Amino acid sequence: MEAVIYTCLGLMLIFGVMAVMFHSMTKSAIALAAASAALGAIMYETGAIWSALLEISVCSGLVTVIFISAISLSNMDKKELEKVYEDKKRMSLLPVVLILSGAVLVIAALSAGVSLPHADASAKAAGDLREILWNNRQADIWGQIIVMITGAAAVSVLFRESDWK
Amino acid sequence: MNAIGNIVFIVGFLLIIAGCYCLIRTYHMLKIILGIEVAMKAVTLFITYAGYINGNIDLAQSFVITSIVIEVVVAVVAAGIAINLYRKYGSMDIRNLRKLKG
Repeated sequence: MEAVIYTCLGLMLIFGVMAVMFHSMTKSAIALAAASAALGAIMYETGAIWSALLEISVCSGLVTVIFISAISLSNMDKKELEKVYEDKKRMSLLPVVLILSGAVLVIAALSAGVSLPHADASAKAAGDLREILWNNRQADIWGQIIVMITGAAAVSVLFRESDWK
Repeated sequence: MNAIGNIVFIVGFLLIIAGCYCLIRTYHMLKIILGIEVAMKAVTLFITYAGYINGNIDLAQSFVITSIVIEVVVAVVAAGIAINLYRKYGSMDIRNLRKLKG
């Protein structure tokens, strides 16, 4: 189990950084989907099966489709992206920033005694996910419904038919 | 020392740094949404791990589901704004947003 989590954490970091670093937007969207899939695998290994399912189907699938649709509608090629936004120049320092930050975090974790607790196997599970969602966190469900309705309203306003003419 | 906990901590913070760096340095609207998504992945990782170490993974799942819904709606609305920006100005440069009125 631990080997899978370590591998997926490594993949998630690599694909997450690649998503930010790539100059091609299509490759970035695919790298983000791969990072989501790695996160879904970590969730599955830690027992969060339902959220793993949602992460893989929604974040890795639907969000990628939204990105690819937006990219195909904008129709901007890689050279133009580099020229107009100077992406290559502006993002070139990211590996240095990440290596320095990573070194600082590793030193902090090793020397300053930053240590997160172990998984508590004896801790009581709060109960079934459905019970939690419908009994304890019912306000979240109403909040989610409101957020989704707001999103649908925003999309319908952004893509009014009169704008297309 | 708990190795998984520390590696989750390091990977999560590095992803947040990568996402924030992208938000600060790029002018492309879609790249900005990508940066937000990358940082959100780290937050989702932290929530999942918090549920795992407390033994309350079901409670953590309810929070993760809420964050996924918010993440998707943010991505959809921001992509819609990006497409409208492209239709109006011919590029997705966020500096063009300053020209908008109202």
